[in-house]
Amino acid sequence: MTPPRPYKPRVPRKFIGAYRPRIDALEKASGRAEFADDLTLKSRFPGMLYAKVLRSPYAHARIKSLDAEPARLLPGVKAVLTYKDPELSSLKPTSAGWTDGVDTVSYERMMWGHFRDRRVLGDHACWATDEVGAVVAAESEQIAEEALKLIEVEWEVLPFVLDPLEAMKPGAPIIHPEIAPRNILPKDAVGGKDVFVDKGDADKGFAQADVVVEAVSVHHNATQASLDNWCCLVDWKSDKLTVLSNSYEADQSRMHISQMLDLPINKVRVISSYVGGQFGRGDTGDQPFFLFTALLSKKTGRPVKFKHSRRESFHDSRQPAIYTGKVGAKKDGTITTMYFKSIGNSGAYADHTMFALKFAPTEITEAALAHIPNVRMESYGVYTNKLPACMMRGVGNSQFNLIFGHVVDMLAEKLGMDPMDLALKNFGHEWGGLPDKSLAAVLREGAQRIGWSAKRHKPGAGPIHDRVKKRGVGFSFHPAWHAEWQEARRGEIRVRITVNPDCSVSLDAPTIETGTGSNTCNVLGCAEALGFLGITPGDIAWPHTVDTETSLKDCVQTDSAVSYLQSEVLAHAAREVKKRLQEKAAKLMKAEPEDLDIAGGRVFRKAAPGKGMSVRDVFRKGDMLPVVVEIGRPPNAEKTGVPYIANFAEVEVDTSTGRVQVLKLVVLNDCGTVMYASGAEAQQIGGQVMGVGEALTEEIIYDEAAGVPLNFNWIDYKIPTMADMPDIEPTLLEVWRGAGEYGACGIGEGTVTCTPRAVLNAIYNAIGVRVDDIPVKPEKVLRALGSVKKLMTHTEP
Amino acid sequence: MVARSGKQACKGKKPPVKIKVNGQWHEFEPGRDIEPAMTLSFLLREKLGYTGLKVACDEGACGACTVLMDGKAILSCMTLAAQAHGHEILTIEGLREDDPLIQAFAKQCEPGYGTALQCGFCTPGFVMAAKGLLHENPKPTLGEIKEGLSGNICRCGCYAGIARAVQHASHLDCVAEGEGAVHSPRKSAPKGGKP
Repeated sequence: MTPPRPYKPRVPRKFIGAYRPRIDALEKASGRAEFADDLTLKSRFPGMLYAKVLRSPYAHARIKSLDAEPARLLPGVKAVLTYKDPELSSLKPTSAGWTDGVDTVSYERMMWGHFRDRRVLGDHACWATDEVGAVVAAESEQIAEEALKLIEVEWEVLPFVLDPLEAMKPGAPIIHPEIAPRNILPKDAVGGKDVFVDKGDADKGFAQADVVVEAVSVHHNATQASLDNWCCLVDWKSDKLTVLSNSYEADQSRMHISQMLDLPINKVRVISSYVGGQFGRGDTGDQPFFLFTALLSKKTGRPVKFKHSRRESFHDSRQPAIYTGKVGAKKDGTITTMYFKSIGNSGAYADHTMFALKFAPTEITEAALAHIPNVRMESYGVYTNKLPACMMRGVGNSQFNLIFGHVVDMLAEKLGMDPMDLALKNFGHEWGGLPDKSLAAVLREGAQRIGWSAKRHKPGAGPIHDRVKKRGVGFSFHPAWHAEWQEARRGEIRVRITVNPDCSVSLDAPTIETGTGSNTCNVLGCAEALGFLGITPGDIAWPHTVDTETSLKDCVQTDSAVSYLQSEVLAHAAREVKKRLQEKAAKLMKAEPEDLDIAGGRVFRKAAPGKGMSVRDVFRKGDMLPVVVEIGRPPNAEKTGVPYIANFAEVEVDTSTGRVQVLKLVVLNDCGTVMYASGAEAQQIGGQVMGVGEALTEEIIYDEAAGVPLNFNWIDYKIPTMADMPDIEPTLLEVWRGAGEYGACGIGEGTVTCTPRAVLNAIYNAIGVRVDDIPVKPEKVLRALGSVKKLMTHTEP
Repeated sequence: MVARSGKQACKGKKPPVKIKVNGQWHEFEPGRDIEPAMTLSFLLREKLGYTGLKVACDEGACGACTVLMDGKAILSCMTLAAQAHGHEILTIEGLREDDPLIQAFAKQCEPGYGTALQCGFCTPGFVMAAKGLLHENPKPTLGEIKEGLSGNICRCGCYAGIARAVQHASHLDCVAEGEGAVHSPRKSAPKGGKP
């Protein structure tokens, strides 16, 4: 085992790029950090009521009639709202895919406005546990739950379908006929038509290719599994509505509530404090439960808390996708043509299905496939009666990488090439040549660290360990997708720096603290930019809570991009701070501002650096007013291309049991600039829990006959623990460079993306047969090995 | 007489449940403060305001609610409040901020291991589970740490940083143990799934 190899910064800086503790580490380690559930204890809101919502026991059903009177009569019940009440029935149909979290948008401009398939507590249940029909507010959660049981519902049980291939067939139960008459999501303005990429002539390309390979990869519905269950408290007093929640997008949550409840924006206040893990959960706060909780508060005049249980937190998932990939090349390894087709299981609601199936692959085409002359992609998002698929870390990219890395590995084998050479020969980005320097760096470094040349052997032909175990290595790579130009849609990013008369700094660069490390990056970026004041990160007070009433617009915790987006603006703000301080000092020093400079907390004449005064004295002897600079800048839209990421895996497969053990992972990110090294490595290491979980153990299992999920709990939905995780080597590189002061790129989201494919390619290298669908459970390995004839699945009746 | 009649009036009434929490005894009157089905996690959070422990799964699968009972790590969501009668509970609020484990979790930033926390939701549970582990085994090996803390889930995935922090807190000479000890491949096969 080699000792850790810290990255070496391309440009040494004082604070940016450091290995150091997080700014919130002590607060969190000591248990002092308070999350939404902690801030909404009954003792803090004595009049508080608890809301519980009716959930469908059926995969597909309609409420024929509902009698809520017995629930209303239960002592302790303060309000019941049903789908027949005008407060609910008058609400517009909506989608939880208003925005991908990059920008704030109105109802009219929601990202997937073609698919407004959600009613806020309607009568149509589209998946087992769907929120429908009625919601109760009571003095305790127990009473609210008891009240739900007293509601008499007459259900019309409808036929259901879970499998997207079945759902596409004529005669299948149709789930949202008004939107998708054949369950297939139609063409829309954002995702485009079914064939959404058609560059060159893919068919001609295949006809002319020397070598063609074709494969299928199946990605499943893993879930985000944030520990911090959705929780909100709504207090609607007279004309003002206040929400305290663990939404990670305050501004968009406010827009959502304002638009859906028809309230002026200044009558809605949204507050978020610490959030216990995000990972794309539930998209960005466009959730119906904010609305019905608000309406209960209005009806009762009391604050109302709504919180998911763990089971209810199985609320949305990654989009399961069946991908076909086909690639054609010349004998020398030049890829001439590629074709990808996906059939995605949207589940009960469309939400961000087409982000995963069309939007993300379009971005990938623009970047990684820019040098391939013929590319065709087609995609079908299909409604079924499963858990809806929404946003999850690496949305769309994880699914695409599973097939992309698959066909690259297959083609390399058929051509007798090292897959690394094949990758370097073909993949880069639109604004750069081949081989791509960033891709070359991540692959070469990864190969060296995993021991690629020593450990790799012909598929299945390696040595046998412990009589039955075989080892193999594999990798997968992917373009990153969080360069600054890709964030232009965010519009202006505003920050405010206040330098107080004692030179302490109050920073308002709001972004909800979900754990990603962005706030640490902001404090480091602020300290770096204000370096002339001679301050340290400890001198900077940062906003632990984002409050739409008092904060600037929050920069949303998506795309891992907040690690640098606000720091870029802070660099500009700091220059303005310096200018203002020079102007202040000029009056006292009887000089022209431009003749002065500031360094190490001192103002001095450029001509006579030895003479001057401290910045503190400038305040003390002057007006004692703080210097406040608030500026906004849009992200730099200069097209700088994208860097690359890669994962290398070494696995051991027990051929007698089918069990796969990941021995080692090397996780590589070309960051452009590392903003905060310990945080970046924590993301690289941490992402592997999700990546390994998705590859090997995590899966939502349905009772196919009844249409109900079986493992909405963490005993049967298996998240890797400390004992399950392999040795992980985080590897940060700085090769590519983006625009601006730092030229960084978001990395956290992508750390999950390449893991399943790297593991699957390593399994193939180990045993010489492929398993094409994840999670790779032992029975699938045994079946691939021919040890068992049939996978244990449901039998035909 | 007054006392006696009072006693008679209380006949059939159950005696209070007494629990020592972070060094202080509390009494809970059955029916008023405490119910038979009330969990210890609920009592600690909702009745006493100890919100360091978190309830994430409420069924013993994640360890976020871990506290110590008489020095042993327990899952407070799987313990009835009444079961704590006569026992001593330690929550993370009962630790000093200079506690070696809290400090080690907060300070972890060593290259190659990441931090010991990100969102921080699971952290108090991990700190208390580690506290219990170190009570039983003051100098655990890396394998023992992994085994000992495998009842806790960190979805941010900071397991390497957590293990490193526990090693530091247990005063192991990490360098002497072999640099990169946290990352060494296990000698024995890991456990499948959760306990």
